[in-house]
Amino acid sequence: MTVLILLLVDFALLSIVLAFYLRRMYKERQALMGKADKSYELQQQMYQVEVLQEINERIGYSLEGNKVIEIITNSLGNLLEYETVSFMLYNKTETVVFKCHVHQSVNHRFISQVKEHMLRATETVCGGLDSNIKLDERIGGALLQDHLDIDVKSYVNIPVVIGNELLGLINLSSSKPDLFDHNQASVLFNITNQAAVAVGQLQTMLESEKGKLTGIIAAMTDGVLMVDLENKLEIYNPAVVDLLSLPVGRTITMFDILDSLAGKVDLRTKIEQALAKGAPVEVKEVLLHDKAMEITITPVRDHAGSQRGVAVILHDVTSEKSLEKLRQEFTAMMVHELRAPLTAVRWSAESLLKHLSDAKAQLESASVKDSVSNIDIAATNMLELVNDLLDVAKIEAGKFDLNIQEYDLSEIISEEVNTFKAQAESKHLSLNFITPGPIKVKCDKVRIGQVISNLLSNAIKYTDSGQVDIHLSVDSVTNQVVVAVKDSGLGVSREDLAVLFSKFKQLKTFDRTQKGTGLGLVVSRGIVEAHHGRIWAESAGENLGSTFSFSLPLN
Amino acid sequence: MPKIVIAEDDQMISASLEAGFTQAGFEVALGGDGEEALLKIRESKPDVVLLDIMMPKLDGIGVVWELKADDELSKIPVVMLTNLSDPATVSKILEAGVTDYLLKSEQSIDEIVSKVTEVMNRG
Repeated sequence: MTVLILLLVDFALLSIVLAFYLRRMYKERQALMGKADKSYELQQQMYQVEVLQEINERIGYSLEGNKVIEIITNSLGNLLEYETVSFMLYNKTETVVFKCHVHQSVNHRFISQVKEHMLRATETVCGGLDSNIKLDERIGGALLQDHLDIDVKSYVNIPVVIGNELLGLINLSSSKPDLFDHNQASVLFNITNQAAVAVGQLQTMLESEKGKLTGIIAAMTDGVLMVDLENKLEIYNPAVVDLLSLPVGRTITMFDILDSLAGKVDLRTKIEQALAKGAPVEVKEVLLHDKAMEITITPVRDHAGSQRGVAVILHDVTSEKSLEKLRQEFTAMMVHELRAPLTAVRWSAESLLKHLSDAKAQLESASVKDSVSNIDIAATNMLELVNDLLDVAKIEAGKFDLNIQEYDLSEIISEEVNTFKAQAESKHLSLNFITPGPIKVKCDKVRIGQVISNLLSNAIKYTDSGQVDIHLSVDSVTNQVVVAVKDSGLGVSREDLAVLFSKFKQLKTFDRTQKGTGLGLVVSRGIVEAHHGRIWAESAGENLGSTFSFSLPLN
Repeated sequence: MPKIVIAEDDQMISASLEAGFTQAGFEVALGGDGEEALLKIRESKPDVVLLDIMMPKLDGIGVVWELKADDELSKIPVVMLTNLSDPATVSKILEAGVTDYLLKSEQSIDEIVSKVTEVMNRG
């Protein structure tokens, strides 16, 4: 009886230790849910898996079937009187492991009988054993003494099932007859079963946690890999394969990783640094093939604080970098554009001063007039550019204010057309306005006027002969009004069509012989979209004219 | 009379420069873009060349590379005149092998004329 209690205490202890680890794991998971820092989260998750796998080392057994049987077998040690306790384990390979612990000395004959009983039981349970089966025998414990004359007089076979799998058999054999009655066999069976069930559950949990962790890191867009202290690659996700352009379709090794970064980053050294520092090490701007990335190497610790390896995170910054590059180019462009008229003003002023300091100077002379005129033009250009830049900034910040009232759109267009009549005439272009009559639209009169002015100005600027037509029409189906400016001029190429309304234009084609800031269309688009309308351009190609249109909602 | 080719696409700037150099006694030929400038350089074989960077068709740096590729023309001193001061551009300019470069917005016309004259006389 005391022996039974001992066994149960044994088992209880086992459960307590297990529960302890499981509870810690759950607590840690709760804690890390609050953390925003991805790499910390990752560290912790990885550590959890390590913990689960480590239960094995700490309390001396693993989740492997054979060890479980061994432990159960050992626990049964003091339960009853028996000479031998053995287990037979069915590996996935063709060997059957037979391990026998001799508690009290027996002879070889006894062992053979035990083996025989177990094999027969196995045959029954498995429906036959492969005749090619090899038996891996291990016999330990007390010495075999063949001068003893004993046979197996009573025995019990207990199947060990974990999950749905029959792992093996445990056998207790004794030279005393009728030792194992039905009750005792039941007790043994129950204990074995419960232990097996607990292990099965733990196994499932481990698989599930592993699965979750793998799932999480597989879904991450950042590349994640974990390397242990022996520089072995433990975990990696598909993003790593993608970012480092590694071969697809086979398992990746640490060599693959190191190879791919050879010449760019000495990963081994960085890992050593991170472990030595005990803190993350960052490598900014790693350029590999056509990608730019940031690499962070973070040491991973267990709950006791000792390092177990590192997590390496690859963060793709390619698109951020190209956007940054565009922004810089745009800024450089704008600075250049502002400096040009400023220089003109300075030089005109300089020339003016020189001229006026000349005693024979005449204020009405052509050169004076030129200088002053240049200053005026330059200042106006600069003001236009600054205004446009301001508008663009407002649009981008979403702070573009509109003064919306109801106006007759036809009238607004008429007014703009009138201001451009003279300019069109001087280029011998016919400027026509086709309208169905007054149309009331809710809009900001000044801003929409600005859009129309921008489109008309461009049309006239880029047309050397022919005509510019501006159409106003109503689409009752979509409840919109559409304004289209059609010209017979230079047209727009396909590539340019795509970037027309973007401030990141092709800088090479920027034509400074034409007046204007280059930002007109960008601002127009901002204005139209702030009205919840659309703006677009069509062109059959170079020298085939173009049509710039915008729509405004009607209500 | 010393000869100069000025390549600049901005008309106001171009006119001011022309006036300045003419007054200083230079014979001035103008190019409104890189290609035109190269043409004028080949035609008139000037004593010095003043180039803007941002020009349509062929930019200033492109012009310099073209000049350096020609035995005769590579000997002509080149001064780059620009408003771009970012480090990337500056290194491109120096790489191409210009003799000197000036920032338009920081110089007066007189200063430009005297610097260019100096470069020309250095040989």
